[in-house]
Amino acid sequence: MLSDVVCVRCPRSCLIRVAVEEGSVKSVEGYGCRLGFEYAVEEVTNPKRTVCSTVRVVGGRYPRLPVRTSEPVPKSKIREVVEALRGVTVKAPVRRGEVIVRNVAGTGADVVAEMDVEPEAA
Amino acid sequence: MVIEVGKDVVVVGGGPSGLAAAVRLAELGYGVAVVESGDELGGILIQCIHDGFGTKLFGKALSGPEFASSFIERLGELGVEAWTRTHVVRVRLEGGSWVLTAVSPRGVLRFKSRAVVYATGCRERTPFEIRVGGTRPAGVYTAGLVQRLVNLYGVLPGRRVLIVGGGDVGMIVARHLHLEGVEELLVVFPEPWFAGLPRNVQQCILDFGIPFRPRTIVKEIVGKERVEGAVLVRVDEKWQPIKGTEEFYPCDAVVFSVGLVPNASQLEELGAEMDQRTRGPVVNEYFETSLRGVFAVGNLLTPFDYVDDAVETAFIAAEGVSKHLSGEARRDKPIPLRPGPNVRLLVPHRVEWASGRDVTLFLRPSVERENPRISVRSSGGELYHTRRRYARPSLMERVELPRGLVESSPEGVVVDVE
Repeated sequence: MLSDVVCVRCPRSCLIRVAVEEGSVKSVEGYGCRLGFEYAVEEVTNPKRTVCSTVRVVGGRYPRLPVRTSEPVPKSKIREVVEALRGVTVKAPVRRGEVIVRNVAGTGADVVAEMDVEPEAA
Repeated sequence: MVIEVGKDVVVVGGGPSGLAAAVRLAELGYGVAVVESGDELGGILIQCIHDGFGTKLFGKALSGPEFASSFIERLGELGVEAWTRTHVVRVRLEGGSWVLTAVSPRGVLRFKSRAVVYATGCRERTPFEIRVGGTRPAGVYTAGLVQRLVNLYGVLPGRRVLIVGGGDVGMIVARHLHLEGVEELLVVFPEPWFAGLPRNVQQCILDFGIPFRPRTIVKEIVGKERVEGAVLVRVDEKWQPIKGTEEFYPCDAVVFSVGLVPNASQLEELGAEMDQRTRGPVVNEYFETSLRGVFAVGNLLTPFDYVDDAVETAFIAAEGVSKHLSGEARRDKPIPLRPGPNVRLLVPHRVEWASGRDVTLFLRPSVERENPRISVRSSGGELYHTRRRYARPSLMERVELPRGLVESSPEGVVVDVE
């Protein structure tokens, strides 16, 4: 089976063609660098994404805190990760990189804060 | 009472490009103040919570707030003054200095400096500018506003949302709305395919199976108090509506993501020369406008695909400010850099300094080409070329042109995609 993958590792956006037979990668064509090769193989065998969303934060300037997974998680888990953040509330101050949810949705990745939130005077 | 602030350089705009310019200038030893009209530094990046920023500059994919934070923290370390909630209302040249009058909750400020870096970014085009008909109910938004509402305030624009525009911002907003619980989404755009980056088509649209319709535009918006729907119509290759293809699409919000326009009105009022193609200022190789000592960087020049490129213009402009402040020599006659037939827009527009770094060009092709050459020609023939695997209007090209080649063609050069 042939799969076309648009590489997202850098702005060149290489179009990479991966041939898979009986569950194993037979050939990879069109990649511009090692990163692209690895991305294409992963995209066909086990696609992953960094999930970015928000959680509720009280005491800051805005009511939402942007968060992300500390590393890419399996594409099939995106929905579960977002669902796991629904009821989460944190309090200012928050520091960038602070873990908000550990091992989110059993992916092994943590959800971390994308920015500092300073307490605002009410 | 007027607060007087004297600096070597004032940077207008505290988004990524303004921050980058301020950081580099402070590192060069100049006294800098950043003036930002919004509540905080970081500009548009604060609401861009998705990742993918910094792949060129830092070699990793950061989120918008993370990218901005790295510059904001550096600014703090360098002790640069940042004036938020401060809006520049008037700029004058007085006795060889630029004087910027600004208003803020603390009162009126007068910034006096020998150079100004404008980094005021873009504004979003509105539905009025693309001539959408119908009523004017509540529930019509621009994409940037929706991004702000969803990512900072946790407010969704509606339950069934129509997104107009297939560029990067439209696709990214579609993904967020999908993940944050909007029940039904449709993306429409007049082009035969998404105008944005291929990576966004994959990661924002195809990953989630979000429905889209190419060659489709909104003819009119329907609804009295709130949006009840929109009339969609198919268009031909020339974007002309095809009669009889009108269709009512029920929805409770319409989000327009139909392009960005440089926020250049203040520069224009000051008398800076403008480029009709970019709708931003005309600049030299150090991103200095036609007003000496006034520089323009980042999306104010033209919307960049990557913040990394916008930031690079700021770094180059900082070197230009340094040249200006130390009174380095300029050429008697500038060398024009002109776009060829297959180039939609090109910055910078001319080479004006007598010496300096190689010339960093940014150009947007008007055509799609496989294995193209980006060529630079003078009347005497080709001076330079560089190859690409692919060129497309959605991808801004960056070319580093050896300075000597330009200087050998004082009558000017033409940059094209062939």
